[in-house]
Amino acid sequence: MDLALKDIRRHLGKFIATTVGVAMLLAIVLVMNGIYRGNIVDGTWLIENTATDLWVVERGRGGPFNESSRMAQDSYRSVAATPGVAAASPLVLYTAQRDFGGASQQFTLIGYDVFGGLGGPTTIAQGRGLEAAHWEMVADRKLGLRLGQQVAFGEDRYTVVGVTAGAVDASGNPLVYLSLPDAQKVQFEQDKRALAAARAAALRRLEAQGIRGEQAERLLPLVTGGAATINAVLVRLAPGADGEAVSRHIRDWLHFNVYTTDEERTLMLEGRLKRISAVLGLFRGLLVAVSIVIISLIVYVLTIEKIRSIATLKLIGAPNALIVRLIVTQSLLLTLGSFALAYLLRLLIAPGFPRTLAFTTQETAVTFAVMLAGGVLASLMAVWHALRTPPQLALGG
Amino acid sequence: MAVLEIRGVSQTFGQGDTAVQALKPTDLSVEAGELVALLGPSGSGKSTLLLAISLIQPPTTGRIAIDGQVLHDEGPTGVDIRAFRRRKVGFIFQQHNLIPFLTARENVLLMLELNGAGRREASRKAQELLDYLEIGHRADDLPARLSGGEQQRVAIARALANDPVLVLADEPTAALDTGRGMKAMAMLRRIARERRSAVITVTHDHRMIEGFDTVYHLDDGKLGRDGAPAPAAH
Repeated sequence: MDLALKDIRRHLGKFIATTVGVAMLLAIVLVMNGIYRGNIVDGTWLIENTATDLWVVERGRGGPFNESSRMAQDSYRSVAATPGVAAASPLVLYTAQRDFGGASQQFTLIGYDVFGGLGGPTTIAQGRGLEAAHWEMVADRKLGLRLGQQVAFGEDRYTVVGVTAGAVDASGNPLVYLSLPDAQKVQFEQDKRALAAARAAALRRLEAQGIRGEQAERLLPLVTGGAATINAVLVRLAPGADGEAVSRHIRDWLHFNVYTTDEERTLMLEGRLKRISAVLGLFRGLLVAVSIVIISLIVYVLTIEKIRSIATLKLIGAPNALIVRLIVTQSLLLTLGSFALAYLLRLLIAPGFPRTLAFTTQETAVTFAVMLAGGVLASLMAVWHALRTPPQLALGG
Repeated sequence: MAVLEIRGVSQTFGQGDTAVQALKPTDLSVEAGELVALLGPSGSGKSTLLLAISLIQPPTTGRIAIDGQVLHDEGPTGVDIRAFRRRKVGFIFQQHNLIPFLTARENVLLMLELNGAGRREASRKAQELLDYLEIGHRADDLPARLSGGEQQRVAIARALANDPVLVLADEPTAALDTGRGMKAMAMLRRIARERRSAVITVTHDHRMIEGFDTVYHLDDGKLGRDGAPAPAAH
């Protein structure tokens, strides 16, 4: 006779309510797993999904993701001329925030050379990539834009020609791809009044230096700056080229920093993602510990509620194994039932969750094993108490 | 041969100046089918003697033998006491102590299964015992749905499930009204007569011992024999 199942059957409502409660807690643990892994997946997505061998950035900088990097636009030409380089193309990327469909949304804008350059979208789910030099855009579906929809950036309107799935920046924000000149225009475009004020201020600075009239007008574009900067140069190596030698050449002769994709990934994991990963990992650990403590207390209370029955069992000669099985079985059923329900809850929660949730079978299995071990451990305290219960507790009133 | 034989059994709690002798050296012999009552006020040592007999709390001194097996002789004799209780002794409690999540039948079945009975055989015997105690019609009810008297009958059925040579009843009528108490005691008499089990009942209520073969009185840990009251009218 399985006493554990009999007890559960008689108190089914209570057992289900307890299981649901624990399941909600475990669902949070599983979602936290997803957030932890999703944070890493998001953080490295752009690095791992940009078809490039080397990332060339401003000297002394850990860009373009962890730190800003500004380079002259034509610097990509000198990189392209480096021995062993098959292709080099400019890339700009920056974070922006605009209203789409009545909601303010943050996204990362990527500008690349549309005509054969590197850095374009790799995961187009609908439509096509950029083909025209201007006024086309590819956006991730997270932004909620439809194919053919027109979006205004500054004074220009851009048509959505392609939609990507899962293209996100390191913060999990969706990506928007524009042609390089369009991206630069959006990035550097100023309001007309602000532009007029800047020109007037520049003219006054020139006049203060004794430069006036036509001469000042000619010099004005040189002192007000331009849009011809980029954030990185992407490099594809020629077949058989030594990546290390190419990097060394670019570093020594062109005075830029060069990172391989692996190095960029390491920079991201060791830099921007390190602290948040540590925090999420800590929360995950704490949640697991809290869950085990709560399961322990529940199993303990369930045992205490049966302590007189346990004393009676001992008095009438039931072996300890029967009592241990009663407690451990209930603890395991509670843990297994809660985990299964938590897994279902996780499946329901994941699609609508505002951040990327990434799950690995290994991590889910480890969490399951930890919770199972926790469940057994949790029952030990109750077993210890039950085995110490004197049978004479069954006697008397 | 006596079913229960105890010689010089005493129980002392504490040590040195704080030692309290709850049970003075006691001899007792109970035959098969004998109905014995242990009477005495609260704190007189009744429960201490019952715990000592059942080896739940082994005595400080003395020798205890049940059904010819020496279980304690100034110390443990190596017998698995819990297994012995499971096979040879039946317990009836003041509060019935039925397992609340098992039906009446399952409470009896549990005892049978603990003794290795097969499922079909155990089921048949459980129903037989419940019928014997006139509670067979409530076999599928949980204890919470039974009255105190009905619960006590199920508890008695459970105590008899292992065909015990010795039944120990601790204040079996304390939670019952007089009428139901009398009925429970009548059942114990019937068990002793028909099943030849020795029955030792602890009680503080003189009205309940009518028809008992032997009545002992415990006072301040000392056991004295009151003699045998007149047989009860059946």
